[in-house]
Amino acid sequence: MPLKILILDDEPIVGQRLKATLEKEGHNVETFVNPLEAVSRLEGKTFDIVVTDIRMDDMDGIEILELVLQKSARTKVIMITGYATLEVARESLAKGAFDFIAKPFKLKEMRQAIEKAVDALQQENPGNPAGN
Amino acid sequence: MQPVHLLKKFLGHRGREQIPFAELFKRFQDILDKNNAAMELIADMDGKMGGDFVFDRKYLTDSVHKLKQLVLANAYDLNFITNNQFLAIYDTIEKLAKELEIELSGQMVIRETRRIYHLNEIDEGMEDTVGYKAYNLSRMVSLPKIDFPEGFVAAIGCFRDYLAYNNLFEKIASLIETFKKEEKSVESVSTAIGLMILGGDIPPNVRREILNAANKICKGKVEGCYFSVRSSGVGEDGELSFAGLHDSFLNVRFGELLSAFKKVLASLYNPASLSYRLKMNLFQMEMAMPVLYQAMVPSRTAGVLYTLDPNNPDRPECILSGNWGLGRVVVEGQAAVDTFYVSRNTPHAITQQKIGSKKWMLAPLKTGQARKVPGKLRDKPCLSPLEARTIVEAGLILERFFKKPLDVEWSLDEGGRLWILQARPLKIQPAKRVQRPELSEVLKRHRVLLEERGMIAYRGIGAGPARLVTENDDLSQFPAGSVLVSRYAPPRLAEIIPRASAIITDIGTTTGHMATVAREFRVPTIVGTEIATQVLEPDQLVTVDAERNIIYEGRIEELLHHQLLEESAFEVTREFQVLRRILKKIAPLYLTDPNAPNFTPRGCRTFHDIMRFIHEKAFQALLQTGSNPRAFLKRGGKRLKSQIPIDLILIDLGGGISQKAAQQTHVSPDQITSVPMQEIWAGLSSPGTWNMDPIPVDFKGMMSSVTRTRSSEVMGNSLPGVNLGVLGADYVNLSLPLGYHFTVVEAAVGPKPENNYISFRFAGGVTDITRRSRRASLLKNILEKAGFKVNVNGDMVNARAIDLTDRQIRQNLHLIGRLIGFTRQLDVLLKNDADIERYLAKFINQAVPPEKE
Repeated sequence: MPLKILILDDEPIVGQRLKATLEKEGHNVETFVNPLEAVSRLEGKTFDIVVTDIRMDDMDGIEILELVLQKSARTKVIMITGYATLEVARESLAKGAFDFIAKPFKLKEMRQAIEKAVDALQQENPGNPAGN
Repeated sequence: MQPVHLLKKFLGHRGREQIPFAELFKRFQDILDKNNAAMELIADMDGKMGGDFVFDRKYLTDSVHKLKQLVLANAYDLNFITNNQFLAIYDTIEKLAKELEIELSGQMVIRETRRIYHLNEIDEGMEDTVGYKAYNLSRMVSLPKIDFPEGFVAAIGCFRDYLAYNNLFEKIASLIETFKKEEKSVESVSTAIGLMILGGDIPPNVRREILNAANKICKGKVEGCYFSVRSSGVGEDGELSFAGLHDSFLNVRFGELLSAFKKVLASLYNPASLSYRLKMNLFQMEMAMPVLYQAMVPSRTAGVLYTLDPNNPDRPECILSGNWGLGRVVVEGQAAVDTFYVSRNTPHAITQQKIGSKKWMLAPLKTGQARKVPGKLRDKPCLSPLEARTIVEAGLILERFFKKPLDVEWSLDEGGRLWILQARPLKIQPAKRVQRPELSEVLKRHRVLLEERGMIAYRGIGAGPARLVTENDDLSQFPAGSVLVSRYAPPRLAEIIPRASAIITDIGTTTGHMATVAREFRVPTIVGTEIATQVLEPDQLVTVDAERNIIYEGRIEELLHHQLLEESAFEVTREFQVLRRILKKIAPLYLTDPNAPNFTPRGCRTFHDIMRFIHEKAFQALLQTGSNPRAFLKRGGKRLKSQIPIDLILIDLGGGISQKAAQQTHVSPDQITSVPMQEIWAGLSSPGTWNMDPIPVDFKGMMSSVTRTRSSEVMGNSLPGVNLGVLGADYVNLSLPLGYHFTVVEAAVGPKPENNYISFRFAGGVTDITRRSRRASLLKNILEKAGFKVNVNGDMVNARAIDLTDRQIRQNLHLIGRLIGFTRQLDVLLKNDADIERYLAKFINQAVPPEKE
């Protein structure tokens, strides 16, 4: 079942590479480098999974996390960052992030995180894996 | 006065006071530690080249910064222990760091002001200097077994010089403005600019350089020497978007090379090109036109290969079209030609052919005129099945390299030899990409042979028959397009890597020689699977998915096609290209020979060179603190007690000698705790290493005779006349300058393969140079078999092994120990060449015991 995935990172390379990999897995992927554009998209559409960088110039990834969960509690949010500190990880997990990945990461790590999210979505809503 | 000189002067006053020995050792140990940290960092960056990681600019910036700090700290330590003998190293570091910063900023580095580049002189990232056509060609010319006509490019500098010399910059700019504002038609603007360009004069420097370069290719015989002269456009999207918009000329005589230059320049402003730029909004980019010159091949048959059928990209077929003579009629589609559909799978059979009635051909060279095809050739196929296969094989090697379907221009000369003239991406309309069933569904139908075994060293998909390569195989027989399967990853496999469609090894790491070469040639590679050589059958057809780390049985076209038709491969991302460029200034080791004249701060080309230089000079400083055994014994050195006739003083950096021996002046071999030294000693003292046959001179006397003149002759004055071993728990540096040879071994053994290495240097001997060189090449054989990368220069052998597993490094150190014993005795034992062979055979027969799992 294809999932709707949004990826936000102000470094274009992240979206570019994740999109190629995840589309190959059959998912529908939208990528953003500008947090504000991503926010406006998130307001218009509910995604199954949101992958967001934590530190960006215009907006904090934690804000994105809060915003996403406020709108759709079942959406799984995966946080990525180049400044991996335990503190940030703890904060984002406490605020409801599904997983946390430190840059640079292997594509496999991200795939596994997505697979875990898919499992969680299925468990929450067995009849409809993508939760639609 | 320059700040650096001031600093030098100031620091120089710190004087010549003796640095305490203990302090010296501590600093040396620090240098070793930081070098290790730096090597780990380099290995980490190099590993990112495999495509399996997502990294961003920050990662690159941080890594370079950390590396610089480590190297600077080592430079400081070196200058501390040498009383500031090497202040120039700071300049080298700063200069290199500056270059890296520019690369990181993503600015186009204006590297040089050179006007002309031969194809083999074009470096990574120079596409904006030489244009895409020349750049792509330059990437391909390094691929072995494929021949390209010699050539050079009149780079962007020639174009700019031409415009400046004729005062054309502003005139052209204002004409283009009128076109953009639609004040004038494209035809009139194009004609006006064209006339200005054709009417200009070529600046003398450009004229001279073009003719010199061409003359070199013609080897001075300009009569009968012909060139193709082509546009090599510069643009955002590679040459693809401008394909066919600019002019190319074939069969250009030497005397017409300069006018052809002007004609190609003028074609930059032809109506099609100007309209295209306007439509695509490309006028904000600089317009420039490098010009590519290539020697013409006198072709019997020439044509074009599409590695996929653009109309049926899902079919595993190539389209090959050709005609007699020069290829232009094929490229321009003007005349009837032969068309062959050839299978992409080995043995590349022709599945279908349409033999055209070929009335016209372009005669090779001289005239280059269209002429009638002789009657008996008209309806005869212009290619044999074998020739078709050769062309397709070459095309697929190129396709694997670019990971894109290609449009390849080729030519067969009178002798039937294949030349590749051009290769460019083949455009396949998205609409033509047939919707195929979900890839994951397809994959489920294929048997998985290996999954999640080992590590991905280079990302991608490759398929072909598995070919198990063992130590003694003749590598020239490796069939192109096969999957290379090997137990180990020895450096000798490098030569077949470009021909492999994928690589799988049992043992190896992503940081080894082979992984590096695989990345260079973009071959999908999985290393360290442990069991691939047992699981995969010879010639079994397999698909290697070095993205998900799975090896499937059979050839999965869907997976291969998905890769070929993917929008953009990771290789073209900016971060990846920046990493590739910065690594060139970081990772390679050029300074391998400490006796070479360029072994200086100025001679360091990379961070790795600098690290090597600092390490070597720091070690020499350590050795120069004494000139005889007594001096070292006085400072805590210990003499090794043993039956072996070698007088060795050991110095412990910490952890190299048992605590119990701390107060002793003599130690026995079993008190050595340095792991690499233990292994070397085990080899050195193993039964049979020391020949105990009666020998003509007093052997012991010979070995201990201190021939200091000889040793200082071979080593400059870098080593004292002492056999010295400097030991750490996981480090050894053994310098044995006595007798008639000198040997230097350095090794580190650690838990991480990227920090393991052995370097072995050997030279000298009392025999004539022929025999010494002969011996050097015999040593080379022994060492290469063991997986060393070996350089021989005269009688000097320089060998280096990196990235070894724990067992390999132990085996190799044992071997080195035996080699030391062996080489020590050569001069005494060898009376003629036959003896060399005999002793060598004996040595090899006693070789490392066969490996057991």
